[in-house]
Amino acid sequence: MVHRTVLVLCEKPDAAVRVAKALDEREKPSERKMNGVPYYEAKRRDERILAVPARGHLYVVAPKLKDRSIYPVFDFHWLPKHEVERDAGQTKTWIDVISRLCKDATDFVLATDYDIEGATLGYTILKYACGGKENEAKRMKFSTLTTGELRESYERLLPQIEFPIAEAGTCRHFIDAIYGINLSRAMTVAAKRWSRKYATLSTGRVQGPTLEFLVNREKGINSFVPTPFWTVKSKVRIGDNIFEAEYEKEMIERFDEANAIVSERKGRIGKVTTIEVKEFQQAPPTPFDLGALQTESYSLFKCTPRRTSDIAERLYLEALISYPRTASQKLPNSINYRSILESLSRISAYKKLALMLLSQQNLKPNEGKKQDPAHPAIYPTGNLPERTLTDGERKIWDLIVKRFMAVFGEAAIKQSIKVSLEADGYRFYLRGRRILKEGWMHFYSPYTRAEEVLLPHLNEGDEIEVLEIIREDRFTSPLPRYNPASLLKKMEQDEIGTKATRADIIETLYKRGYIAEERIVVTDLGFDVVDVLGKYCPEIISVSFTRDLERRMEEIQNGNEKMENVIDRAVNQLRPILEELKRREEEIGQALSEAMKKARMQERIVGSCPVCESGKLMILCSRRTGKRFLGCTNFFNGVCKTSFPLPQNGTLKPSHRNCRGCGWSTIQVKIKGKRPWILCFNPKCPLKEGKT
Amino acid sequence: MKCEICGKEASSQFCDLHRTAYENLVEKFEVWKKALKITWTGYLDEILRNPDTGIWVKEVARQLLSQGLSSRE
Repeated sequence: MVHRTVLVLCEKPDAAVRVAKALDEREKPSERKMNGVPYYEAKRRDERILAVPARGHLYVVAPKLKDRSIYPVFDFHWLPKHEVERDAGQTKTWIDVISRLCKDATDFVLATDYDIEGATLGYTILKYACGGKENEAKRMKFSTLTTGELRESYERLLPQIEFPIAEAGTCRHFIDAIYGINLSRAMTVAAKRWSRKYATLSTGRVQGPTLEFLVNREKGINSFVPTPFWTVKSKVRIGDNIFEAEYEKEMIERFDEANAIVSERKGRIGKVTTIEVKEFQQAPPTPFDLGALQTESYSLFKCTPRRTSDIAERLYLEALISYPRTASQKLPNSINYRSILESLSRISAYKKLALMLLSQQNLKPNEGKKQDPAHPAIYPTGNLPERTLTDGERKIWDLIVKRFMAVFGEAAIKQSIKVSLEADGYRFYLRGRRILKEGWMHFYSPYTRAEEVLLPHLNEGDEIEVLEIIREDRFTSPLPRYNPASLLKKMEQDEIGTKATRADIIETLYKRGYIAEERIVVTDLGFDVVDVLGKYCPEIISVSFTRDLERRMEEIQNGNEKMENVIDRAVNQLRPILEELKRREEEIGQALSEAMKKARMQERIVGSCPVCESGKLMILCSRRTGKRFLGCTNFFNGVCKTSFPLPQNGTLKPSHRNCRGCGWSTIQVKIKGKRPWILCFNPKCPLKEGKT
Repeated sequence: MKCEICGKEASSQFCDLHRTAYENLVEKFEVWKKALKITWTGYLDEILRNPDTGIWVKEVARQLLSQGLSSRE
């Protein structure tokens, strides 16, 4: 006999299925659909449980004033997503269905992800779609979607939703909207009023400082002057093997000094003067938090932070791993290490490793310092995949499983050997590295990076044959470019953005055309945007400015600060900046329009002119015939008349690749319904010989 | 005044970015001189050939060479 109808609000359809399955007495909930929106009905004792999914955020913060050309605007409110965004999909239907199902419900339970976004999303749906149920709703708190944990969290419902976290989330959404909408609008409107052309320009509270990191690095690289230095090494024969020994000075700053070592060589014998042997321990790695997983996955698989986070999210929804958006490096005992390892031992690839760990009396993870009040570090749940995982999913899951096992391993013991060798009065070092005990590295294979250099047995006083002494001409190098993973780490170190938003911000910078390529290069447009912001509103790209806001928002979460105070403060800081932007709208509009014009021109440049070599080949359009062609920019100064015909259909853009036949630049051609192809415009390209 | 290289607003011969590149170029010449006993033009040639030289530095070096600047030798 059913006495109550409980509406359990989940974050996504996949999560709703898991929740319904776990809560249904027979683990077979009924799938229902209303206007195409799925929900799941489960029976549990005297309860009818409706597991209803959201689809991410159904409500967004938007200005009350609808005219998109007006700024500054400070009056914002929550609105259904479909009223604000054009591509909001089925949001309206979704909200209507939730509202209708709410009418049957006697009890409400929030079962979205237990973090700032999950709390905010749940809070807005309960408040607006369910008609003010946020105060009576109870909360399921879980870190995995496993049946056991879901049941337990339903049995021990928290009496209310996490209001301080939802308040902090609301505050973040309001502040991001106030900053993002006003600043982006100021830039877009200024550019449009000057050039009469519309183009989306954006910046935001975190986007601005992130772009500035990149611009600063780019400036360092572009104005870098390499300086020469030399290294010297000797090749020595020990037994049948040849080894390289490096000169005691790692960097020699004068050519004469380096050359003297090579040219003054007289003898062929070096003498071992000392042998230093050191043993040291290397502790196991700490469990993965999201940032560490993203960095490791990029370094091992070249998987971008955003992709890693998406894959991890899928693995979580399939109950294979715990909640991935965590900052924690802790693995509490309560997750039951042994039962996870026992489950993993059912897979042949992990069996041996899991059994090795299970044979240990005491399992103690090597935890890091970072904590997250909501979730532990990322760990495998012990559930096995119910379908064949994609290549990417399998790699990330394997990495998480191996890392989980490695944190319980013993420290690795390594040995380093430094042999000093005297030859012609110069000292060289022969270095060796050995792993004496693998410890945790055994569990983390093949993801460990330790190369062994084994030296033969040597004694002090031994004589060694020196085959040759080599001088290497070297130059200092600039700091490396950021890649998506190292940029994410930098954002984390500088405490800007959140674990949930950093990867998206990097993606936005790519989408806006401010940055390009995997080893990030700032485009001219990116430079000019930072230039304009730095000149007219430097606070917006200041790290300390946004970091201060981040800290205040965290205080709300801890219950030490009020949302209204933080928003008021942010508005008071932003108001004079926006007034100044408005006052100088014309100058800003001109600067941005010129930057965009330059960027558009840049997009049409294919490469250097192969004939005059000083001009650039550009995709142009004939005024007379209206046809597209490739022409040299030196045509306009009367220097070069080089031109090449181009296809007249489809879209063309520089491919940034050179032809493998003739080395000329190439163009990517995209025609609707066909696969994009690369065009070499060189009529005499050797690859075209024989083709007519 | 416009930058001789990129045409941006400048308070002297070069804009801010090219001026920084120029200053680096002059500063590092001392290191090169000590290391290789090289002339100013020889240095500029080397700098232009080096793949790690920043693009703004190369633009400045090219500009200086085209002006036939040999005052630092």
